[in-house]
Amino acid sequence: MEALVKLSFYCFAAASIAFSASAVSYLAYAVGRVRLRQTALATSAGTTYVTRSAALEPGWTGAGRFGTMLAWFGVVFQGVSIALRTAAAGHLPLSNMYEFSSSFIFLMGLVYLLFERSYGVRQLGAVVLPITVGMIVYVWSLPVGLREVNALIPALQNRPLMTAHVSLAILAYAAFAVAFAAAVLYLVAVRRSVAWLPSPELLDDLGYRAVTVGFPAMALVLILGSVWAYQAWGTYWNWDPKETAALFTWLVYGVYLHTRSLRGWRGNRSAVVLLVGFAAVIFTYYGNYFFGGLHAYGGV
Amino acid sequence: MAQVSTPTAPARRARRSLPDLVVDRLWRFFCSVRIAIWEIAILALLVLIGTLRGSSVPQTVADAVPALAPLVERWYAWDVFHSLPFMVMLGLLSVAIAIGGMINRAPGIWQAIAHPTVATTHGFLRNAEASATLAAPAPPDVLADRMTDALRAAHYRVLTEERNGEIHLYADRFRFAKLGTFPFHLALILILVGGIVGARWGFRETEFIVPEGSVRGLGYGTGLSVRLDNFSDTYQENGQPRGFRSDLTILEDGEEVKRGVATVNRPLTFGDTVFYQSGFGQAVVLRITDARGQVLWDDAAPLDFVSSVNPDAPAAVIELPPAKIKLHVIAPDSNRGNAPEQDPLGLASGTMYFLPRPLGPDGPIGDAPGVVGRVGEVSEVAGLNVEFLRERRFTSLQVGRNPGIPIFVVASLMLVGGLAVTFYFPHRRVRGIVAAAPGGGSAATIVPLARRDWSAQRAFDRLSGEIEARLGLPLSRRRSPAEGPASATSRG
Repeated sequence: MEALVKLSFYCFAAASIAFSASAVSYLAYAVGRVRLRQTALATSAGTTYVTRSAALEPGWTGAGRFGTMLAWFGVVFQGVSIALRTAAAGHLPLSNMYEFSSSFIFLMGLVYLLFERSYGVRQLGAVVLPITVGMIVYVWSLPVGLREVNALIPALQNRPLMTAHVSLAILAYAAFAVAFAAAVLYLVAVRRSVAWLPSPELLDDLGYRAVTVGFPAMALVLILGSVWAYQAWGTYWNWDPKETAALFTWLVYGVYLHTRSLRGWRGNRSAVVLLVGFAAVIFTYYGNYFFGGLHAYGGV
Repeated sequence: MAQVSTPTAPARRARRSLPDLVVDRLWRFFCSVRIAIWEIAILALLVLIGTLRGSSVPQTVADAVPALAPLVERWYAWDVFHSLPFMVMLGLLSVAIAIGGMINRAPGIWQAIAHPTVATTHGFLRNAEASATLAAPAPPDVLADRMTDALRAAHYRVLTEERNGEIHLYADRFRFAKLGTFPFHLALILILVGGIVGARWGFRETEFIVPEGSVRGLGYGTGLSVRLDNFSDTYQENGQPRGFRSDLTILEDGEEVKRGVATVNRPLTFGDTVFYQSGFGQAVVLRITDARGQVLWDDAAPLDFVSSVNPDAPAAVIELPPAKIKLHVIAPDSNRGNAPEQDPLGLASGTMYFLPRPLGPDGPIGDAPGVVGRVGEVSEVAGLNVEFLRERRFTSLQVGRNPGIPIFVVASLMLVGGLAVTFYFPHRRVRGIVAAAPGGGSAATIVPLARRDWSAQRAFDRLSGEIEARLGLPLSRRRSPAEGPASATSRG
């Protein structure tokens, strides 16, 4: 078992390198190249004026393709890491912040790549992959003891519900990360005339599509969490901080969907709600650090 | 020429009765999307405030800005989720969901499903963000038939209407998905109903403590009592708990009706009453008699309190009404790492500290001194003989009966089903006109009803490609800037 856990960690290390390199490539692709121009003007009086200007130009398309390839490498390595850890533990790695974050890294990469493939938008990677790298840095910063595989504590000994509830939470967060990235790029695209960014309409639609994945997944997280709470604690809703934080997140995205479908909000306002929504995701994700309550075991 | 006087708008308003006006205002209030969104936002804010209350955040705020300490204290004291503002917002939102989200929208949605407007205008087609046009040598009715066949092949419902020699087309797909909003919104109300039903007709005992070998009555009119036959807790090598298990016997009116095991995540069920493993602790078995030999207590007492002088020392309180005494029982310090000054009693293993206190204002004793008792020995405490028989374990169960659960399950299925239908089967709509071309033959123009909807426009592109392939006619596409005039999308 120890060998599997070690191998799983090495795969995670490989995925870390691949995702980091991918983030750099995507950034190079999305930000573009800065071209400095210098113009010298000679006047009839013999004076020479020199003007300098900087202009952004489209990035090397190869960097984008390279980013995609590296992101796929990262997803595959991380997938293998998770598979090995699953084999070692006998359950999906979802029981502490090391495992949860590792799975989040995997699903965030995968969900992003599926959206990239569906919409043909590589620039999105310049936002999603740095978030992935941030998550990787966080995982590396966690106590080494969390990398060991331990038997599940009694509260988590419900594998079907743990797998469904926690996996869906990760899927929802991953989809919301993609929606966040689309919102960020939208706000950049409409404020700066960066011609090679995707059209704002496409980014707006992409953000919405990502939420249509995340919102039902989050609804299922709340429902399955309630079912699990009922089995474990005898009540399907405890007003536990982590529960209510997830409810808060769901309500924010509920506001997003209702303002969009019933009030016709598009563009800037919708993008801002998506930013608030992702802030709620981060708040819920790291809530274990400052929440007490029934989910405290999930912390570090 | 006879003049007909028509009442002016203010005159009409004046004729309306007060109840009419009130109902109308309330109806508008609950149908307002803007207000509903504000209600969700305020509810979200209250949820956030309640969530943070359960965290260390308010304390951090108070530490950083001492002036805010009184406010933070009030924040900690405010039980948001059981407060009036929260209940009011839940109530308002529920009514808004029922009226504005369902009842008010139902006719419009049904109209769009069953009787959509077919006719359109050339101006509408011109101003659409995207359009596809094709020409054919055939007359308009033949081209319209072929278009209809092509759209039906793409699983679209097609409605046509002839106007001034032109054939107007309306085609849509997934029209019944518009109904998905109803199960979703109804589910939100049903979840609240489930909670109310559970609270009104069910019960929940959060700390039902049963020591090993003892029987405790459940109450709540169930006639049930529970005996704990055995409790066991197991641990991993690193000290993490592996499992907690209570072997229980359930008695109904004193008769054994079920034996079973309750562990965390696997509760024991009898009928519709469920027993959940919640906690455990130490218990002490005592036999207490008075000076005449009358038995006042012969049972286990769970040490489910802690000593006021040492929070690491488990304690129990036994009330003895006949003697008007309550006996505090304090166990040795459970934290061996504590310094001696943290454990003023300094009790050794196998001993208990008995501290008698008066029960009620007319108790026979004052602050009598405590006595240290040893296991297997009898101690005299305030005129009582307290025999410390042995130590045992107790289990702490949560017991509940919740008739709202079936409602909650149905609501959950409706919620997820409604969302899935709404999001993954979007209502796609197309309008068009087939008209005679000036040079002979006919021309058809179709547009999607997809204002600023990139996915719908992509679906339209796919659809127009399918039509082109099926009809074998060249199709010209046009895409205008997204911010087209509002009139372009005011229909449909």
